[in-house]
Amino acid sequence: MIERAALVYLDYAASTPVDSRVAKAMTALMTVDGNFANPSSTHAAGRRSVEHIAHAAGQLAALLNTDADRLIWTSGATESDNLAILGGAHFRQERGRHLITMRTEHKAVVDPFNVLEKQGFEVTWLDPETDGVLDIAKLEAALRQDTQLVSIMHVNNETGVVQDIEQIGTVCRARDVLLHVDAAQSVGKLPIDLEALPVDLMSMTAHKVYGPKGIGALYIADRPGVHVDPLLFGGGQQQRLRPGTLPVQQIVAFGMTAEIARSRMSDDLEHLRAMHNRFWSGIRDLPGVLVNGCIETGFPGILNVSIEDIEGESLLLALEPLCVATGSACNSQIQEPSYVLRALGRSDALAQSAIRFSFGRPTRIEHVDFAIDRYRSAIEKLRRIAPERVQ
Amino acid sequence: MSGDPYSERVRQLFEAPRHAGSLGGALSATLEDQGVRIRLAAEIADGEMRTLRFQAWGCPHVIAVAEAFCADYEGKSVSTLLEFSVSDLMQSLSVPVEKTGRILVIEDAVRSLGNIVRDASNPDD
Repeated sequence: MIERAALVYLDYAASTPVDSRVAKAMTALMTVDGNFANPSSTHAAGRRSVEHIAHAAGQLAALLNTDADRLIWTSGATESDNLAILGGAHFRQERGRHLITMRTEHKAVVDPFNVLEKQGFEVTWLDPETDGVLDIAKLEAALRQDTQLVSIMHVNNETGVVQDIEQIGTVCRARDVLLHVDAAQSVGKLPIDLEALPVDLMSMTAHKVYGPKGIGALYIADRPGVHVDPLLFGGGQQQRLRPGTLPVQQIVAFGMTAEIARSRMSDDLEHLRAMHNRFWSGIRDLPGVLVNGCIETGFPGILNVSIEDIEGESLLLALEPLCVATGSACNSQIQEPSYVLRALGRSDALAQSAIRFSFGRPTRIEHVDFAIDRYRSAIEKLRRIAPERVQ
Repeated sequence: MSGDPYSERVRQLFEAPRHAGSLGGALSATLEDQGVRIRLAAEIADGEMRTLRFQAWGCPHVIAVAEAFCADYEGKSVSTLLEFSVSDLMQSLSVPVEKTGRILVIEDAVRSLGNIVRDASNPDD
């Protein structure tokens, strides 16, 4: 058993710790002296909960430069993605049933599109270029008269590749096609101005930006033809788009994380760049090491690297006590190569050797140096014990 | 959600594979299959395996089973190689059944080594 204290966590793209100020505020709200009342209740305590929610919506809206009433609270980015894609496609299905997305999207986007295909919608799956970026010409060529929805993520969760959502949105807006953006990895980390960006639907979550798990939001633009059909029924909350008792403490936490992120975004980005560059400088001379994505234009919080002739599962174990993510999606006890990296043209072997290092606010130089040392020694060990290939 | 895919013993064997390496001039067998590369080498004296070494490219279970085999079979009679089966090691190390194919490559390599040792011992046969 690895001691908790010995772990070195470099998996901030998977989840982040809750900011201690946020955790304290959440806890205070949940108890008898806080604001635990149901915000749907009309009594004074309920009205106070409503005020808390309105304040939090304002904080999140300020981060994104939009109106607070454009935000629908959800349980997280997965639910937001489902509501945007399933709800958006169903709302617009009278106009057409053609949809477009990319092969490198998160499963929370891929799976709803698979569901829609089974329901008779036609989906065009766009391949990225080898650096992970979408060629806008490919999108333009794929758009049809009956295309109703395009879903492209902002920052890729595995590779950190950043898509040009402004350009993508401009193309979609010119054809009156809805653009949904999964921004789970970018909200609170990269500047997003929804007043300026031609984005219709945007998914986000708190736990990737130092908030709690279990709370997210979906932005729905105030524009004719932009709407979603609900997935859940059972109450009138949130304009009947997402019924259910609102979790006041979670929402307040998301609002606080948004305000904190807004106040320190440039410092956070500078810190991430420093950690990212230090780590890459420490391993780039290893023979056979390759970046998945683009080192220059990618989000600096994520660095995904493959290495030639190294078995990925053994590499991951040899890296312990580093907490990092493999490029493989664990399927039972056998690790399958990542479909995202395969879409970038990586071989099964290279995709299987991929490790995602992701940095966060708590990452210190010592953590990065430990990771460099651990990665280098793991590669050296595995190469030392590997036999020559059989001719 | 998933638990720890490795038993404590697998972790120990993977962390410190004392028998990893090569033996210059020793008899050896090399196999590559199922995404696994394995090379086994043996120094033989008086019908016994005095020293066993392995080199492996594969998942942690492959490395752990190869290490466990070398540790268990050093000092044993060469005749045991031809009877070797990985099933006991798979059970004792809690190797997932999905990995049976790749672990069987080690069994094939051990038996191949057994044949090489036998042929070297009886060059006129």
